[in-house]
Amino acid sequence: MESLDPRLNRVNLEDKSLLKPKVALDQFETYETFVQTNENKPYQHEGVVHAPNEDMAFLFAKEQFSRRGTCSGISVCKTENVIVSPTTENGKNIYDEYEPHGSELHEYEKYEVFHLFRRGKQHQHIGQVEASSYDEAFNKSKAIYNNDKTVLNVWLVKTENILFVDENYRDIWHTLSEKQFREATAYRALDKIKKFKEENS
Amino acid sequence: MNEKALKDLLFKIADDQLIIGHRNSEWNGLGPILEEDIAFCSMAQDKIGQSLQFYMLLEELGEKDPDTIAFTRNANLFHNCQFVELPIGDYEFSLMRHFLFDHAEYIRFNMLSHSSYVPLSELAHKIKGEIKYHIMHANTWIQQLGNSTNEAVKRLQKALNSTFPYALGIFEESRFEGDLISEGIFEGEQKLRNKWLNDIDSVLGKTKLILPDLAAESAHLGGRYGEHTKHLQPLLNEMSEVFSIDPTAEW
Amino acid sequence: MYGGGNTFEKLQTKNVEDEDPQLLAVFEARIERGEKIEPSDWMPDLYRKQLIRMIEQHAHSEIIGALPEGTWVTRAPGFKRKLALMAKVQDEVGHAQLLYSAAETLGKSREQMIDDLISGKSKYSNIFNYPAYTWADSCFISWLVDAGAIVNQTANSRGSYGPYCRALERICIEESFHLKYGHHCVIHMATGTTIQRKMMQEAINRWWKPMMHFFGPSDKISAHTEILMKWKVKMDTNDNMRNQFLDMYVPKIWELGITVPDPKLKKNNESGRWEYTEPDWDEFKRVINGDGPCNAERIAVRRMAEQRGRWVRKALLSPKSKYVTPLA
Repeated sequence: MESLDPRLNRVNLEDKSLLKPKVALDQFETYETFVQTNENKPYQHEGVVHAPNEDMAFLFAKEQFSRRGTCSGISVCKTENVIVSPTTENGKNIYDEYEPHGSELHEYEKYEVFHLFRRGKQHQHIGQVEASSYDEAFNKSKAIYNNDKTVLNVWLVKTENILFVDENYRDIWHTLSEKQFREATAYRALDKIKKFKEENS
Repeated sequence: MNEKALKDLLFKIADDQLIIGHRNSEWNGLGPILEEDIAFCSMAQDKIGQSLQFYMLLEELGEKDPDTIAFTRNANLFHNCQFVELPIGDYEFSLMRHFLFDHAEYIRFNMLSHSSYVPLSELAHKIKGEIKYHIMHANTWIQQLGNSTNEAVKRLQKALNSTFPYALGIFEESRFEGDLISEGIFEGEQKLRNKWLNDIDSVLGKTKLILPDLAAESAHLGGRYGEHTKHLQPLLNEMSEVFSIDPTAEW
Repeated sequence: MYGGGNTFEKLQTKNVEDEDPQLLAVFEARIERGEKIEPSDWMPDLYRKQLIRMIEQHAHSEIIGALPEGTWVTRAPGFKRKLALMAKVQDEVGHAQLLYSAAETLGKSREQMIDDLISGKSKYSNIFNYPAYTWADSCFISWLVDAGAIVNQTANSRGSYGPYCRALERICIEESFHLKYGHHCVIHMATGTTIQRKMMQEAINRWWKPMMHFFGPSDKISAHTEILMKWKVKMDTNDNMRNQFLDMYVPKIWELGITVPDPKLKKNNESGRWEYTEPDWDEFKRVINGDGPCNAERIAVRRMAEQRGRWVRKALLSPKSKYVTPLA
């Protein structure tokens, strides 16, 4: 198979060993990613990465979710460690609609709280509570963080289960504003069209 | 300031960054894991962006514009070490090169951030953060794979053995080494090399990988002054295929 | 990048009449109010399956779509183009990642989707089965194929499924860079030297046919498509999207002194619709079914990439790890 892509002519695309059937399920688990675009903004959910562990998830999340614009921090946590409330709609507040029950009691520890304010939008990091169970964490965040904004859905993550990037690593985003070649604004050429039209009219 | 010495230094850094960035970009869209494809490509972009900034420093010193310099020279005029021009191989080869090369680069830029040539120290200071991520990426991969399955360890060890003599070629000394050091432009390859050995050894020490015996290895030298492997000229031909259709055209 | 066209065939699903009427009413009322559906909500079988297929095909189109332009990634002329093309091809891989994740929230794992791509079971946008012969072809793709994709994706981002909309919002922002970059390239080619102009004209001549195929044949409006439009899965007809594309971009091509290889192409000012030579839909079907110039290579590349990643995954996959469906 001769390719127009010189890179592909350097590998053997017709290698028959490539046809071996795949062993069942070898994909990595998923990590939910939260991005803080600047230090005054809350962390916001941006999506997931597939990764074998937290450290690798962070490496992947950084380039998938913060290679443009500005960024001051990223955090990742394993999907299975996010505890999710039901989702309401039509202006109903989940804190009024739902009473949690039945989660296991543990030692007192910290929980991170995330809110969804509109369907179709992203969850935002709201703050931290200390509690001995997810139920208690839910009730505490209701007492502290439930104000005039309607909350449709709550995510709770134990702080120990979430990896926040160390402050000393903030400089890994410092040259982001110079990556202008990734931005639409770097490609203005209307003057060229104008000149061309003038010369050819 | 000895301008010849300075240019010699800037050229080798610029050419290193361009060629390694170009090589790593060959993984673009073909990487082994989607997320890694993206991360590796960002780092390749960083390197090409860095080379551009070094060529711009050279332009300020009277050399031609960056496009002309990068896209019209033949291999014998390139100052990169041979290490960066080797083909990408399988992923473990590219990863190992990334690990060995970027550690040297990180130390080099740290040193240069104290350079007596201010435009250079400012540039080095600025891009240190980018390379910090590159190092974090390289260390995480090498440590994790280097402690995993037999197959992975075997692959990485083989890559380490074959790349190591080339990696030593990074530290080929400049003809102006003495001037660079005495004028405070750069602390010198010897010092860089010793620190590098120390750094990579401390990471490899946490894995099942074994650093080849230094006494038994000889460095692949010559790249800094135009002696290259058979791989560089085809790389340059490919890179400039479109540009050379008409080097005066605006593409 | 994505085009419609092969998405809305009939699927094997539970009949809508057999769904729980109460749940269905709540679901439909939510969409009617303009609220989004989130993964944990109840949804009809047809909705779920249709979305999985659509988002999955979209994701495949991104990862395969990285290849025709990737053909030129090591040969981009000059620093500015080199950096931009790398960033653009990277974005396409990134879009695939985002879309696979969105489809995963509906219950199909990424691995299964990629298996289906490699085995030829699932489809991707037909246009990527054509080769990029010269640098000018990559300029065409960056500008006009992405422009077509934006028409399609902007429509879909107003759809009803939350995770898909979120992914598309992010994608559309990045596509605006692609579009401007591509236009910038084409402007430089078209207003450049004689050789550049010739290269560009030849690329347009080559790519116009697959570009007209891009949005797919006219929809046959059936009860099936009507319900998908009501549920805001399908947002507009293929013909409308093609017309919108022609309306926005043909004048921009013409102003560069480039001709479009279709003597019948013109806007009917009374109807506001564009008239054109009917595309060869037999060829379209033939290529979709595997007989295009690059189908085999495109799939072989993804198979190779998968294969090359196996030892890495095997090395790092913890035996304790448990895949769960991503949340949003």
